Amino acid sequence: MSEYKKVCFMYRHKDYAVDGIRSALGLAVENMYSYGVVMDTQIDSLDDNTQESIEMLRDMEGEIYSTVPANVENLGLEAISLEELGEKLREMTHVIPYGLK
Amino acid sequence: MKILNVYRSEPDDVTKRLIEIVTRDRESDEFYLNVENPDYDQLVEKIFAADQTISWW
Amino acid sequence: MAKSLGIFVTTKESLPHVIGITKAAKAKGSTVKVFFTWIATHSSKDPLFATLCEIADDVSICVDSYRKQGYDINDVPAGLTPKKMATQAQHGIIIEDFDCYLSL
Repeated sequence: MSEYKKVCFMYRHKDYAVDGIRSALGLAVENMYSYGVVMDTQIDSLDDNTQESIEMLRDMEGEIYSTVPANVENLGLEAISLEELGEKLREMTHVIPYGLK
Repeated sequence: MKILNVYRSEPDDVTKRLIEIVTRDRESDEFYLNVENPDYDQLVEKIFAADQTISWW
Repeated sequence: MAKSLGIFVTTKESLPHVIGITKAAKAKGSTVKVFFTWIATHSSKDPLFATLCEIADDVSICVDSYRKQGYDINDVPAGLTPKKMATQAQHGIIIEDFDCYLSL
């Protein structure tokens, strides 16, 4: 039996973050540990569908983090520093720098 | 554990720092995709030889 | 035996690379599966897309992304069949079942 896959998506551009979060959820429902990290970009608000996706992801032991303090404050994302992210990536079976920066 | 870092654009400081941490005490290789005519044959060889490939923005 | 390769495509700029890498991997006897999501589904309208479908073992796109990018889901891109207008589960298959993984 193989170990569960651990996947981390990273989003650096606003245009890719929302769908990238959906892709993270898509893997969580396939029985993988799935995480997303919003970097560099500040997002003012998330639509209901995306918020629901994040909640579902959390229910499946996933998480959406952000290196941007405003996203942590405004959107309720989990804070992560660049150093912590680097350490987290070391534990992943798959690392996905999503979209463009 | 051998990591292959593929660069889709010139890596900036954020990318460079993450690569430093991810490849610490590990074997690593790299491939620049942001060139005129990438050698895809060589890239595939490197992907097959690596345990994990990360294609940075 | 050559390792298998799964490619997850998130950018529409990557299609020439996807084709080049797929050709090189196929020449080595690899099995190649490609899945396009979100903005990358625009690539399905590129004339080169049908070429990719011919050389890769399996090509599919996220149908929900395709719709959100403004396309009619009944307008199946050349090279695909309705069955290949799929979901994110295709990405899961790439991660679970393929030896090597590449995102572009």
